[in-house]
Amino acid sequence: MPFLEAAAAKSPTIDEWLLWAILASPLTAWGLIALYFRRLPAVAGYLAIAGIGISCVISFVTLFNVIDADGAIAQHTHEWFTAGDVVVNLGVRVDGLTAVMLVVVTSVSLLVQVYSTGYMAGDAGYGRYFAHMCLFTTSMLGLVLADNLFMLFIFWELVGLSSYLLIGFWFHKPSAAAAAKKAFIVTRIGDLGLLAALLLIWSRAGTFDIAGIHHWAASGEASDKIVTLFALGIFAGAAGKSAQFPLHVWLPDAMEGPTPVSALIHAATMVAAGVYLVARFFPVFEVSADASEVVAWIGAATALIAATIALVQTDLKRVLAYSTVSQLGYMMLALGALGYVAAIFHLFTHAFFKALLFLGSGSVNHGTNTFDMRKMGGLRKKMPVTFWTFVIGSLSLAGIFPLAGFWSKDEILLDAWRYDRALWFMAATVAFMTAFYMFRAIFLTFFGEYKGGEPVDHHDPDNHFHGDPAHPHESPWPMRAPLLILAVPAVLAGLFNVNHDFGDFINHALPELPHHDESTFEWGIALSSLGLALAGIGLAWAIYYKRWVASASLREVFLPLAGVFERKYFLDDIYEDIFVRGIFHRGWNRLLELNDRYVIEGVVNGSGRLVRGVSNGLRPIQNGLLQTYGLGFAAGVIIFVLAVFAANPL
Amino acid sequence: MELTALVFLPAAAAILVLLLPARQEHLAKYVALAGSVAALALSLWLFFSFDVDQGGYQFTERREWVDLGAFNLQYFLGVDGLSMPLVVLTTFLTTASVLVSFSVTHRQRLYYALLLVLATSVLGVFTALDFMLFFLFWELELFPMYLLISIWGSGRKEYSATKFVLYTIAGSAFMLVGILTLAFSASTFDIQVLGQSSFQDTVLPLSWVFLFLFIGFAVKLPMVPVHTWLPDAHSDAPTAVSVMLAGVLLKMGGYGIIRMCVTILPGEAGDLSAWMAGAGAVSVLYGAFVTLRQTDVKRLIAYSSVSHMGLVLLGVAALGNTGMVGATYQMVAHGLITGLLFVCVGLMYERTHTREIARLGGLARQMPLIATGLVFAAFGSLGLPALAGFIAEVMVFIGSFEEFEWAALMAISGAVLSAGYMLWMLQRVVFGPVRPEWNGLTDQRHWWEHSVVLMLAALIILLGLYPPLLTDVINPAIDSIVLRVGA
Repeated sequence: MPFLEAAAAKSPTIDEWLLWAILASPLTAWGLIALYFRRLPAVAGYLAIAGIGISCVISFVTLFNVIDADGAIAQHTHEWFTAGDVVVNLGVRVDGLTAVMLVVVTSVSLLVQVYSTGYMAGDAGYGRYFAHMCLFTTSMLGLVLADNLFMLFIFWELVGLSSYLLIGFWFHKPSAAAAAKKAFIVTRIGDLGLLAALLLIWSRAGTFDIAGIHHWAASGEASDKIVTLFALGIFAGAAGKSAQFPLHVWLPDAMEGPTPVSALIHAATMVAAGVYLVARFFPVFEVSADASEVVAWIGAATALIAATIALVQTDLKRVLAYSTVSQLGYMMLALGALGYVAAIFHLFTHAFFKALLFLGSGSVNHGTNTFDMRKMGGLRKKMPVTFWTFVIGSLSLAGIFPLAGFWSKDEILLDAWRYDRALWFMAATVAFMTAFYMFRAIFLTFFGEYKGGEPVDHHDPDNHFHGDPAHPHESPWPMRAPLLILAVPAVLAGLFNVNHDFGDFINHALPELPHHDESTFEWGIALSSLGLALAGIGLAWAIYYKRWVASASLREVFLPLAGVFERKYFLDDIYEDIFVRGIFHRGWNRLLELNDRYVIEGVVNGSGRLVRGVSNGLRPIQNGLLQTYGLGFAAGVIIFVLAVFAANPL
Repeated sequence: MELTALVFLPAAAAILVLLLPARQEHLAKYVALAGSVAALALSLWLFFSFDVDQGGYQFTERREWVDLGAFNLQYFLGVDGLSMPLVVLTTFLTTASVLVSFSVTHRQRLYYALLLVLATSVLGVFTALDFMLFFLFWELELFPMYLLISIWGSGRKEYSATKFVLYTIAGSAFMLVGILTLAFSASTFDIQVLGQSSFQDTVLPLSWVFLFLFIGFAVKLPMVPVHTWLPDAHSDAPTAVSVMLAGVLLKMGGYGIIRMCVTILPGEAGDLSAWMAGAGAVSVLYGAFVTLRQTDVKRLIAYSSVSHMGLVLLGVAALGNTGMVGATYQMVAHGLITGLLFVCVGLMYERTHTREIARLGGLARQMPLIATGLVFAAFGSLGLPALAGFIAEVMVFIGSFEEFEWAALMAISGAVLSAGYMLWMLQRVVFGPVRPEWNGLTDQRHWWEHSVVLMLAALIILLGLYPPLLTDVINPAIDSIVLRVGA
């Protein structure tokens, strides 16, 4: 591929205003919809498509421009404000990494918007939906374009806000309102780390500038301990947004939002933000071996834990949700194993096939009114486009040659193998499980007998389901077309890095090129992962298609383990029952409240009562009887005179 | 003359309101609105003609007032970059308070007159440059507050009003001792002169004086553990008074700490800075933990104020310019955001007549506009970027981190807790299934309701997106204070 031929050492020539326009375009769409077109569904959807479409076009222009410049960096900074000693800038920075992210975010988001015009048709909050979607996309684009950590943090939090609004889109459902809250709070716990890193970098390096921080880390002027703390803070933020163990618990619950939102969250926006963040500060992680090791192990643990939970889910969307968590673990594992290219490449391919799978599950839901795989089956004939594109996405996710997922996953496994064999072993196990649970889902959903879907509840005013779940049909074209379009990169995106073109391109975003071994293919790794994936598919085929073994009896065999998986390792119970309700709400918080109410208020009201008591005690003295006063006066004079004489004897 | 006009404009309007004949009582609100809008316009004119390149006091006016022999009481007003934003905040929130009061029907003339007198006393506090004049305005504020809470309040209103007054007076008693000690040592009440003096032969050790002044201001802030008047006063006060209380009255505490404690006694402030940082961080966390237990919307917001005002103390404690600029910004931001929270909750209360979180729910369907306002304000309160509170909080964190890493790290945990209580409140109050008992209630619909929500929201966004509007004004004033602390 003549992907990168231009000579190095020139910077992208793209005009600054075009870069800001990438942000401004969906932001304007958001403003227009929010202010004027909330009640005009016809306009809202197209306005969102137009806004994101324009930034998608500019993103591609930017990408080609950066390719011309060989992935070099362009940066435009302006002062925003000064508070005391702190100067905060707003600026944009494009390089290979940014350009790739821009294209991924805008193209996936654009297809999701198109799909949403079909999926959300008839919903009472149609206008509000597209307004939030525009805000979501804007926030993510701002995060990617930001040239400094302060600005990045601002958009980082705005991503959190948009996801809150979208996960809780159907806010009348208690489960949706709870899931939105959970997503925001859990990710905010991670954000504390990011905020602490922001404070640390200002106090030690005196800059928020990304290039400045890269330089600071590489220069060796800070101690290893400080660099490691900074890196871990960054990673804590990333772990929240990118759903890494132990902060992954919000992501599966985020399924409560409309399905296209899930597609966007899981593919291009929110969860990608964490991986992007670590990649953005990759030079810092390179300096700190300790931090990298933490990232690698947390990533591997996340991948493994999520994959095991995905094995036992009965809800199609939850299978996909846990698979996202698992794949994000893969990406973090790669970053920790210093496989910067592998991680971003997997982020890139994963965005396409995961968006495809989510939109496919939404299409299934559009026909059956449910995500419960136990109520599906046999949809292969009824929804052929959905079926075939879903299979393509699953094959890609499972890492089957020559689809996109094969190439990127292979690079991660290779990096893991070189870094630590134990990590490779965990990752390979996950590869086997991934293939198994995805094809379990396919066989349950699309093969066998159709089990009728979920009957429509006509009493629910918020239900806008149109067809008849008993007779599912293929979805309309606005939904089908994005599936077909996404299927193309799900198959082909892996080819971009066969000659390491992609890697060379994004490597220029780093201050110096990585020194470690750059060969990206090894037959042993590739064949073993392919073998494991095929074995996973075969096992799923045997159990859920041929039914040689009953899945129920299989569950019996693995009972204690299956129970742990089904209960999600009890993490939700530990967090909610023990920490939130037990230790905090009924324990510590209550203690402080009681302190407020009885100890402090006791002193306050007690001093009031004391004053009143003393006054009551003294009141009889002032009873208005002159003779008493006279007596007191006389006694006083006598005591005074005696005292004077006692002090000064004659 | 401008400042005198500004300070006494609300009081003049109050007199006009009182002079209205009983038959024309319904005009009271319009007179009050005219008075508060005029004060707002005048303060904005001052704000935009304020010279940001100059650090000192501007628009000063000085008259000899009472001759005390050795030294004099002066009528001395002036504003600098620290007080200027607070003055505008006061006139702005006074206008907002008048607007949200439009539904008040009980004894309107007295009500609006008291509200306007309250505004005059707060404006006096922020502009007085004579410590005794400052103290008089400081005490004057108690009188309208006491009546407003105990006549137009709800629940245990007399108890709460009395508690508010006694708490403040107990603090003021200490403050007065501090003021007199300083004044007799330096032979002046002039804050400008006091701010350049070094004190010798004081009756009390200077660290005591610092503490005495600090106690008076800390009660107002309020700082844990002298905060328990706030939840009672807030929950029993009418909406407009809650707005004024949270919006500007608490700021008198933060303002006093910077203007008096730190500027006049920088050495003592330096000695005690770690304690102040600790007290600030503890207030942030303690307030947040107790907020999480609240079941009454107004008490919840009141406790969240304790937490957020702790940040002001933390920002000041570092005694550096970033932290103090952040603290000043936080006073303005908190005034607007918490003001909006109280406005929205007040609008809800007017309709549902309950503040019990357990009884509310699903209001986003029945009152979408009020619910949107509440969601917006709640996100402002939890420090969402692009809104005013974020800039303030981060500057406080950055400023305090440089001096007291432990305190800053404690305080940032408050960010999770504030997300916890605000989102929990939203989940219970505006989201969830619709409750039939609230069917048929009207949404926000009067022009005064729309305008008060919109003007607050617009300013919160403006200060979130364009911080130089304030920081350019605040920076030089804080720089000159920090210069004195460093010397």
